[in-house]
Amino acid sequence: MEKSSFESTQEFFDQWLNVYNATTGRLVEMPALGPAREKSEKMMKGFSTFVNLYAAGMDSNSNFQSVFMEAMQKVQEKTAPDMNGEISPEKYKEFYNIWIETYSETFKEFMKSGHFASDMGKLNSHLMDFQKYNREMLEENYLKPMNLPTKTEIDEINKELYSLKKTVKELTSQIKALEEKK
Amino acid sequence: MNGLILIEDFEKFKHGVELFLKPPEFSVGTTPSDIIYTEDKMKLIHYIPTVEKPHHIPILIVYALVNRYYILDLQPDKSVIKKLLDEGFDVYVIDWGYPSGTDRYLTLDDYVNGYLNNSVDKIRELSGLDKITLMGVCQGGTFSVMYAAQHPEKVKNLVTLVAPVDFDTDKGILNIWAKSLDVDKIVDYYGIVPGDFLNSGFLLLDPFRLMIDKYVGMFDRIECNPDDTTCSIRNEDYIKNFLRMEKWIFDSPDQAGETFRQFMKDCYQKNLLIKNEMTLNGTKINLKNISMPLLNVMAKFDHLVPNEASKPLNDAVSSSDKEILVFPTGHIGIFVGGKSQKEVCPKITEWLKPRSLGGNKGEKSEQQRNGRKSKEKLK
Repeated sequence: MEKSSFESTQEFFDQWLNVYNATTGRLVEMPALGPAREKSEKMMKGFSTFVNLYAAGMDSNSNFQSVFMEAMQKVQEKTAPDMNGEISPEKYKEFYNIWIETYSETFKEFMKSGHFASDMGKLNSHLMDFQKYNREMLEENYLKPMNLPTKTEIDEINKELYSLKKTVKELTSQIKALEEKK
Repeated sequence: MNGLILIEDFEKFKHGVELFLKPPEFSVGTTPSDIIYTEDKMKLIHYIPTVEKPHHIPILIVYALVNRYYILDLQPDKSVIKKLLDEGFDVYVIDWGYPSGTDRYLTLDDYVNGYLNNSVDKIRELSGLDKITLMGVCQGGTFSVMYAAQHPEKVKNLVTLVAPVDFDTDKGILNIWAKSLDVDKIVDYYGIVPGDFLNSGFLLLDPFRLMIDKYVGMFDRIECNPDDTTCSIRNEDYIKNFLRMEKWIFDSPDQAGETFRQFMKDCYQKNLLIKNEMTLNGTKINLKNISMPLLNVMAKFDHLVPNEASKPLNDAVSSSDKEILVFPTGHIGIFVGGKSQKEVCPKITEWLKPRSLGGNKGEKSEQQRNGRKSKEKLK
């Protein structure tokens, strides 16, 4: 992959992450104390969840940026000889075709790589953690105090409903089979 | 000259925008049909036969949970279903519907041994036959394979179209991606996995073509001669066809969480089906139980289900009458592309006709069947 100017941003972020993990990251992982310990421990967990997501996002961005650079360079190589002189609409169309084909092929190749798959897997996993955390906080700090139903409670009802429906279906088919026997 | 080309391109774009400002009415899935059975959100659709005496064995088409079945009946001149009817088949299709919160706990077993089995039983009851033809498409093909292995006594013929059974391949991007997904986290968070989540994955397969070039191409194909009526008709037809596909692509039902979990983990990540190690509600799926005639249809340029994922089925079953057909199309083109009506459908019907004759054990008399049909009509 080609080097991009984004790499220095990535390097800076990696250094920041190392410092964070060695300092603040350890502080937020400390067990909370006192009457509000349960709540504050949950709140603090949000930091690391967010940092994990942000780090995975940076990795992803950096990789995408590199592929963009690679594709851009390929386009430049293909089009440079024809870009001298007057730019006509035909040339513009030609340029568009080269651009779309090069970008499409370069990105398809990147998407096919195990590297992208593992990156996306990580990003997705941290995103789910972050979303789940946010929902738990919303339920804990807003919905429950306001006595409003939460997603977790609705899921419990859905599970109960599913189980009841299944039992009814089984019993109905047993009754049908018995009636047919008669 | 250059100026003229620029004006022409601008005119095309302007004309395209004008067409979209007064969008032509379009519809999908227009082949006449009745809903003959419903269960929860699932509907069993029966298409009105177009011949007086359809072939003996009815066909049940099982589509995937991802996207909608009407790709097989997108428009009258691009309809696999209409083609089957015109070739004299009695056709049924399962519409899985749009799962919502209450469906998050539905399992793969509920789909295969519940909805699919009940649909098969309904058709057997109506036709008075012991066995019917199962035609499974894409993930629906995988479901049909699972079903045929667990209920071989109810399946006369098995036809699979672009259906994956061996997921351990790196030829398909989805196969590569799926291995890195933390499926548990996705299902645990969403419950019902959003169709848009899957759609964003499909768009990433070729983002520049699917999100930019497709639309540029659409405007580029617009013809501009406001006084030419045939040109306007061509434009309108083209836009209608484009919108039909566009509707289908983004008409993506959400996925029942537990079903998604098992399908992704057992099939895509552990590849249990082809190893005869997958279970549904505790019962193993043994592909060797599939002994009925099998037609395995594939698309040579399938980017979603590579041929390597479909071909191994023929070696895994014990059927002696089995065939593989590969067409030079893509995953969707096999149903709506130019070759679909001219090559794919005729080959399938040619294979099915001699295998759809009577002589099914336990079959009701012609009189009984005619009686049933009259009653159905009265309803």
